[in-house]
Amino acid sequence: MKKLFKISAAAAMIGVLALAASGCGGGSSKKANVTNEMVKFGVTNFADNLDPADNFFSWVVMRYGLGECLVKFDNKMNATPWLADKWSISDDKLTWTFHINDKVKFSNGDKLTAEIAKESLERTFKLSNRAQSVFQYSEIKADGQNLIIKTKNPTPSLPGMLADPLFIIIDTKVKDRDIKKEGPICTGPYAVKTYSKAKAVMVANPNYWDGAVPFKNAEIPTIDDPNTRAMALQKGEIDFAINIAAGDLQLFKDKAKYNISEIASLRTVLAQINMNEGKPLHDPKVRAALIQCLDRVTYNKVLLKDTFIPGKAPVPPSLDYGFDQLKDPNAYNPENAKKLLAEAGWKDTNGDGYVDKNGKNLEIDFVFYSGRAELPLYAEATQADAKKIGIKVNMKNVDYNVLDPMRQKGQFDLIISNILTANTGDPEVYLNWYWKSNINGSQPQNSTGYSNAKFDALSDKLAVEFDPAKRRQYMIEMQQILLDDGVALFFGYPKTNMVSKAGLVNANIYPADYYWLTKDIAPKN
Amino acid sequence: METLVNGFKTNRAFAVTSLLVLLLLAIALAAPIISPFDPTHAEMKDAFLEPSMTHLFGTDKLGRDCFSRVLYGARASLTGVLVLVASVFLVGTTMGVLSGYFGGKVDIIIMRFSDMMISFPGMILAIAIAGIMGGSLVNAVIALTIVSWTKYARLARSMVLKVKRRDYVEAAIVNGGTSPHILWVHILPNILPMMVITAAADIGALMMELAGLSFLGFGSQPPAPEWGLMLNEGRQQLQTAPWLMIFPGLAIFVTVVIFNLWGDNLRDVLDPRNDVKD
Repeated sequence: MKKLFKISAAAAMIGVLALAASGCGGGSSKKANVTNEMVKFGVTNFADNLDPADNFFSWVVMRYGLGECLVKFDNKMNATPWLADKWSISDDKLTWTFHINDKVKFSNGDKLTAEIAKESLERTFKLSNRAQSVFQYSEIKADGQNLIIKTKNPTPSLPGMLADPLFIIIDTKVKDRDIKKEGPICTGPYAVKTYSKAKAVMVANPNYWDGAVPFKNAEIPTIDDPNTRAMALQKGEIDFAINIAAGDLQLFKDKAKYNISEIASLRTVLAQINMNEGKPLHDPKVRAALIQCLDRVTYNKVLLKDTFIPGKAPVPPSLDYGFDQLKDPNAYNPENAKKLLAEAGWKDTNGDGYVDKNGKNLEIDFVFYSGRAELPLYAEATQADAKKIGIKVNMKNVDYNVLDPMRQKGQFDLIISNILTANTGDPEVYLNWYWKSNINGSQPQNSTGYSNAKFDALSDKLAVEFDPAKRRQYMIEMQQILLDDGVALFFGYPKTNMVSKAGLVNANIYPADYYWLTKDIAPKN
Repeated sequence: METLVNGFKTNRAFAVTSLLVLLLLAIALAAPIISPFDPTHAEMKDAFLEPSMTHLFGTDKLGRDCFSRVLYGARASLTGVLVLVASVFLVGTTMGVLSGYFGGKVDIIIMRFSDMMISFPGMILAIAIAGIMGGSLVNAVIALTIVSWTKYARLARSMVLKVKRRDYVEAAIVNGGTSPHILWVHILPNILPMMVITAAADIGALMMELAGLSFLGFGSQPPAPEWGLMLNEGRQQLQTAPWLMIFPGLAIFVTVVIFNLWGDNLRDVLDPRNDVKD
């Protein structure tokens, strides 16, 4: 009896294990080929709902192939026609006329008129306070297919600004729709079937204006963990994925099975330096020493396996703003860094490995978040390299929602940032944000105490300059001032990627961070 | 103590596991002597090297020697878990003894409070507490103490209730013994072996929880070498540099197994019920 019991127990155990194992397998019928029935796209997603005027959720509306703007950026970030097929500016530099493409229809069959475009833009300005900080208009008029925008001040890069997903055009004739839950009616190749933060199900837009839509259905599961995303692609649960992590990219090197589309993004990873009076990094020599002790080439080439370009200047080399001609006075030089510290009066007198002055160690707080895999790595590398010259770096890992208030209140010595430098087509807004003098809260992102009259003067000239060559020259000079003043640690510039099964074509990544599921992504053959 | 020495002589399994525990402690203490490299020294050009003769366990994402980090990790992990067990043991036993001996309102307050703690999922509460206080090994130990003491309090209370009705306790009360005296001399010695056994058997489980908190980022902070934290750091390279997870994982596994076996054998040696057979 006892034996029988044992045997049956063992059999049950094996049964349970077998069941568990089959559960793990999870119907992994590996389909190498992709048909036009369905495509599955693994993404990261931060959007609670699909209202383009809410938060930064418009990015997701565009990434999922739903929304489109009047203007689109090409591979080199030039503003090119999209829903508007041409535009012009009046002689007084204040009135822009955008001609809406006659062919454009919404997914419900409505024709896009200038009137709808006007109402859509006005809705955005009404609901999003961010719109005001991009540009300010005095009047928007509709005249047939012509959309006329009068700006308050000369706004040289208005077409680029209208390419920001914030200004996605939605069908304002539709009133009885819960935009947050069901998504807006837009003009993109796909329309929403169901949406939740965890998964979006899209269907082909039957009225798409710009050619046939390649897939009847698209499923977009959110897989925020980069390793899980890579494994889902390896297993064939998804057909393509955004941003495979540095370490995992080599898993997809087999060209017969996968395509890797990789591009230098428009992002910069940097740490702002707090140089207010009384802060340890107030002394320019200490700042220079800190920047010089960081071996940024190794961080990017070795630690991040060449998926980042080594940092030097505020604007990444993917944008043509003089990256190669800029001179970094604080290139890697640990010996000189030690000398600078000594000149500034910091010496290790008590033999604890850290330099001190007046009995206090040189300690700085590095505030960062770990939502992006490279940020903790840069922070830890900084800590390790700074220790070699005797600076003690304390790591403060905080939630992303806490980070921005800390930035604005100046509660940091170093604070990390991974920022899109050319949201509107060029880096003007970004340079002002972080380094233009903050006079009574005019630049809330700059609480570092940095203020340079020459920089501000150039910024003011830039704001009203229409000539692209001059604009470029101003921005190069502004960057050189920042480098000479040692205002930040420019760690590196990420490359972004999209990895797809070989059964897909045109799964390409663009420098602008919001063209993901495009009309061009199609099954092979 | 006598029983321990006797057990050491007669119970071979106890002797062997005790030696292994001592070996673990010795490794932790001698880490600075055995380690070939400084565990926090980053040689970034040598990041992600495979295990070799120079780097027995390979190197991690900042080019630090994994072998040295695992050895130093023994210090953090063992100190952490021993302090944790000690604090849980102290807090739990004290509460339980007070509650069981004095009864009445004291009992109600302590026990209802412990009911409250038990009705939360332990690990999640620990994560919340550690999250609020900020990540550090000390805070993780405090958080786990807060959620784990109830088990000891209940056990101690039930045993005190049993012992309290014994004749010798009644006799001590009749003789005018003060409460502290009775607790110290008559009650505590009788419940202590059982409590020690429970604590010893818990070392493994608590070590996993501590490593779990570190893995989630609420325990040790970089660049400290701690096994749970090392697992988390290696996770991102699971497919390309598996040694970053294998060796810290193995270290946790081996340590937990050794402590669990030791705890089991300790029970065999200390369990008062064994005395009856002799």
